[in-house]
Amino acid sequence: MNSKDKILVIGAGIAGMEASLLLANAGRSVLLVEKLSLTGGNTIKNEDSFPNLECSTCMIAPIQQDILQNPNIEVMTLSTVKKVEGEAGNFNVTIDKKARYVSLVDCIGCGMCYEPCPVTLKNEWEENLSEKKAIYVPCEGSLPNVPAIDPEHCLQLNGKKSCNACVEACMFGAIDLSEKDEEVQVDVGAVIVATGFDMFDAGKISNLGYGKFPGVYTSMEFERLFASNGPTSGELVLRGGGESPRSIAIIHCVGRKELGYCSGVCCMDSFKYSHFLKNKLPDAKVYNIYSDICLPNKTYQIFYNKIKGEGGGFIFQSSPEDIEIKESSGKLGVNLTDRNGAAESLDVDMVILACAIVPGKESENLAESLGIELDGKGFFLTRKEDVGTVETSKAGIFVVGCAEGPKDIQNSVIQAEAAVGKAILIGEINGK
Amino acid sequence: MKPEGKDNFTPKIVGYLCNWCTYAAADMAGSSKLEIAPELTVIKVMCSSRIDFNMVLTTFFNGADGILIGGCHPGDCHYDKGNYYTRRRFALFKDIMKILKLDPERLQLSWISASEGNRYAEVVNSFTEKIKKLGPNPLNGNPYF
Amino acid sequence: MESKKTSSKIGVYICECGPNIADNIDIDTIIARLPSLEEYQNKELVVKRYKLLCSNEGKEFLENEIRENEFTHLVVAACSPRDHDTTFINVCKKTQLNPYLYKMVNIREQCAWIIPDKEKATEKAIRYIRAATSRVLKQSELIEKQLDIDPGVLVIGGGISGIETALSLAGKERKVYLVEKSSELGGKMNMFKELLPRQNGNRDIIEKKIEEVKKNESITIFLETELESAVGFLGNFEISLKNIKNNQPGAEFTVGAIVAATGFRLTDTGKLAQYKYSKESEVYTSLEIENMIKRDGKIVLKSGKEPESVGLIHCVGREEKGYCSQICCNYMLKFISFLQQQSDSIKIKDFYRDMCLPHKEDQGFFEEVKNKGADFIRISDVKIKGTHVEYTPIGKDKKEVDVDMVILAPAMEPEKGTEELAELFNVPLSETNFFQEEHQQLNPVETSIEGIFIVGACHGPAGISESMLQAQAASGKISTRLIPGKKIVPEVKVSEIMEDFCMGCRTCMDICSYGAITFDGELSVCVVNEAICRGCGNCAGSCPSGAIRAKHFTSAQIYQEIIEAIR
Ligand SMILES: Cc1cc2nc3c(=O)[nH]c(=O)nc-3n(C[C@H](O)[C@H](O)[C@H](O)COP(=O)(O)OP(=O)(O)OC[C@H]3O[C@@H](n4cnc5c(N)ncnc54)[C@H](O)[C@@H]3O)c2cc1C
Ligand code: SF4
Ligand code: SF4
Ligand code: SF4
Ligand code: SF4
Ligand code: SF4
Repeated sequence: MNSKDKILVIGAGIAGMEASLLLANAGRSVLLVEKLSLTGGNTIKNEDSFPNLECSTCMIAPIQQDILQNPNIEVMTLSTVKKVEGEAGNFNVTIDKKARYVSLVDCIGCGMCYEPCPVTLKNEWEENLSEKKAIYVPCEGSLPNVPAIDPEHCLQLNGKKSCNACVEACMFGAIDLSEKDEEVQVDVGAVIVATGFDMFDAGKISNLGYGKFPGVYTSMEFERLFASNGPTSGELVLRGGGESPRSIAIIHCVGRKELGYCSGVCCMDSFKYSHFLKNKLPDAKVYNIYSDICLPNKTYQIFYNKIKGEGGGFIFQSSPEDIEIKESSGKLGVNLTDRNGAAESLDVDMVILACAIVPGKESENLAESLGIELDGKGFFLTRKEDVGTVETSKAGIFVVGCAEGPKDIQNSVIQAEAAVGKAILIGEINGK
Repeated sequence: MKPEGKDNFTPKIVGYLCNWCTYAAADMAGSSKLEIAPELTVIKVMCSSRIDFNMVLTTFFNGADGILIGGCHPGDCHYDKGNYYTRRRFALFKDIMKILKLDPERLQLSWISASEGNRYAEVVNSFTEKIKKLGPNPLNGNPYF
Repeated sequence: MESKKTSSKIGVYICECGPNIADNIDIDTIIARLPSLEEYQNKELVVKRYKLLCSNEGKEFLENEIRENEFTHLVVAACSPRDHDTTFINVCKKTQLNPYLYKMVNIREQCAWIIPDKEKATEKAIRYIRAATSRVLKQSELIEKQLDIDPGVLVIGGGISGIETALSLAGKERKVYLVEKSSELGGKMNMFKELLPRQNGNRDIIEKKIEEVKKNESITIFLETELESAVGFLGNFEISLKNIKNNQPGAEFTVGAIVAATGFRLTDTGKLAQYKYSKESEVYTSLEIENMIKRDGKIVLKSGKEPESVGLIHCVGREEKGYCSQICCNYMLKFISFLQQQSDSIKIKDFYRDMCLPHKEDQGFFEEVKNKGADFIRISDVKIKGTHVEYTPIGKDKKEVDVDMVILAPAMEPEKGTEELAELFNVPLSETNFFQEEHQQLNPVETSIEGIFIVGACHGPAGISESMLQAQAASGKISTRLIPGKKIVPEVKVSEIMEDFCMGCRTCMDICSYGAITFDGELSVCVVNEAICRGCGNCAGSCPSGAIRAKHFTSAQIYQEIIEAIR
């Protein structure tokens, strides 16, 4: 196949995987570049996804398996795109490929190398709620099921001490500490940007007490705390103390005011948490503290009504910017302005902050390498002249999913499929 | 003291697991190296809705002491609604067991999703314990009673 | 070995998986024991171990073994089939062995790693291997079929979604048939002049697109036409149309896929008690306002005078319908912005419940309009008597106000005829009466019938941008699956109905989620369309007379597995 028939997909979240798989099944060769050591993106961090509360692993793992086993897809993990030159049908791409130090071919994922490693680190992927070794997989069930070594913390690689423990433990000779970072050059015909999003840093709003009070969690922390393959195997216990919360406040729209947009998914996420909590801790009190409810899908209000029916308080705050969280003798106090404009306060054990979706940290660099624009908020911009499109200002480069703006899985997949329809026309005649 | 005679009884249990959820959970339990009762033998089906009367009867007639059916949680079926049908058929399977004078407790339906490796281990272990308590299948492999 | 000569020769290959299996399962015991078991007495059996079958050397080794031994059946005992079933299927494909005569056994995740007692783990592994070897002998060869396809596409509905679909797909080798029930293309967008600020880069988009459609030689337009029937499956649907005006049969042709883009209508406000008004009063629905803007270039009263005060009411019929229409908050802001430009003296009162602003640019628009002086009142209740508005601001007492003009944002509902169309296609509607996706998240623009797609407002309330993206998404899926000149390979592990056993009860027909089963009236039996069936086996589980064979999961195959599993 001609090199320009190849399509580069950046980001192996749900949108990037869907695009890759459709193209590959149509016989196109795909290079899927992912910056982390595993595929799946943010969706696999969730135990269940709204509105059908379908188990995310059940939904996503078969797709991850397909991606890894499809002969038309090359998955390049721990890699980022550094430079893109050329034009539609003929891009030359430079990729920064970080060493994994573990062979994707030889490793069988037995996990014998973790224990002997003397270095213990915070597991960022698990929102720092658990620990990992310097040789690690982010969570049980990671795909590819092959560890990577963190070169900054590995004693041998950072030069602090000589160590060979993991290499000795591996019976498959899968670990090679001499592997080097590489710069890879590829020619492709089209590029699909599916780099997703990051979460708003709740620490920026000092009133919310995040980082100060251990009982305050971000939504992503709660997702992992709830996950059956997460740090507590799904047991809902508070940081440090090991006790289950008896009262929980879920605060919507965290960061919305500061950022100037609604993320469109946090309300639904919050209702999902409310449901989880009611299910696992039937006696717990759960409060949703909101100011606007956003239900942008034909089925979302049904879900909302169902959650309301499960009990739990829905508290409308008329002045969301005034909310404040305090701690006294181990209890959290939520002070807010209620619907009548009066001050109200709640005592709870746990606060969950439904944080906004923000542009990925590396969007700016990537936009520059690709020669495309970002909007005022930092998301990738689609062609201004169009009303509904995934095309960017540069022909042959498309942007899909949350890289383009906050949205749910459904709309991310729709954009991915739309981009496939456009990308497939580049380099090959397809009916046209 | 445990009831005598049942202590060294090794039950034979068949686990019908759907390909997409519970089989994946069994994998996760395996790669987490959880200890799981060896008495249960897994038979994979694409969807729990494939399981019919004949399979349940054949399994008990051939001497199984228990059957565990594992499928995706309601609403999660890979094939839209398969597990809803499983749930309905399950009620009928239970009725049939009464006719056969088999304790309906010998048949269990559990929804276990792909990320629930821990739960898979718990369910298999507790079901195995339950069957050990119930003792051997009284049909004793004889379809004609 | 002369005496053992039979037609089948089974290979059993046990992977050591380094120490993972070898350390906890006594593979040599298995190799020694297997051949002595009764079921292998008159069969040829080869049992071997290998250190790592999934490695490149391992795969080559296995490939050579299959060739040299001329195996008729193969069992690989290794890790989870979720990891490496495909690997070994691909090895089989390189040899004479049909991959459906092979079976993988998971002795790692299901024995070695979960049973600490080596002896017990070994016993268990033997049990699994025996079950698999017995089963594999009952398996039969399945051969993949290649089906010709027609790359053409039928699009129903000539609104923006239908038009966008047609334009995205039409080409030299792909014909598109665009069917519209009214006398012109364009749908609701024909009534619009202004779009949202985030869309105004291309104000006359619909006019331009209609021109393009008309010019495109690969698109055939049928106006005042409806779909009469559609039968078939992905790649091959037989279509017949009907001319609405004279109620005569229309064109007949074949396509590979169908896209429904039948749009929406506004809910009937006359049916909602709290919004009663007479035709003469100054109460308008949003579409009437769009029309007015397009026709008159401004928003005026029936007298032609500009209103001095306007009340806008959101979420009309929302509670009754049970969903948010997603776009109305935005177009209400568009109207307010229009009024603000028309004259800065018009007093605006906007009665809303929740402001739905799901696009990244929406909140900015809201704040801009609000800062220009519109009065936004969050209400818990509202009622009109003509242009007299009674409302309850949230947390406060009931109030009332008289305005010159009231604009209602009635909920969007699926266009008339959606239900009939769903029935014709045999696809389900969602709880909210819009078409239902095959999978809400993972396959959002396709229905449960492969090859039938849903885009735009018939899929659920959607704005123009979202509708266009859905149209492009359906086009994307279609262009990856219906490639001109290429064949498609349907699933082979499907179900089949044995005519002689079927009693025609049609239980299976209702159960199949994919419409794969039809009833043959002549023979009085049901038939599975193998091109549609996905092989879930649900029908086989339901058939009261055991007439259905789920290929590769037949009763005979599973019974063998059962017998060995509990021997
Ligand atoms: C007052 C108002 C203002 C709006 N303003 C905006 C805005 O500013 N920006 C925005 O993004 N969105 C706006 N929208 C939403 C926008 O109208 C829809 O997103 C868009 O029209 C959906 O397009 P469609 O093609 O799916 O449906 P439609 O425009 O309804 O088109 C469907 C077409 O299919 C035809 N059809 C239906 N059934 C059949 C059948 N059985 N056989 C053949 N043909 C059939 C219909 O006649 C019609 O031509 C607004 C909506 C309203 C109500
Ligand atoms: S070499 Fe590095 S990764 Fe390996 S065990 Fe030592 S510290 Fe850990
Ligand atoms: S690197 Fe080696 S020891 Fe570690 S998981 Fe892979 S195969 Fe096992
Ligand atoms: S978009 Fe706005 S007006 Fe329309 S139903 Fe939703 S909240 Fe109500
Ligand atoms: S369920 Fe069985 S008997 Fe009834 S129609 Fe289907 S195949 Fe025939
Ligand atoms: S196996 Fe499943 S998809 Fe196939 S005909 Fe039966 S019920 Fe339908």
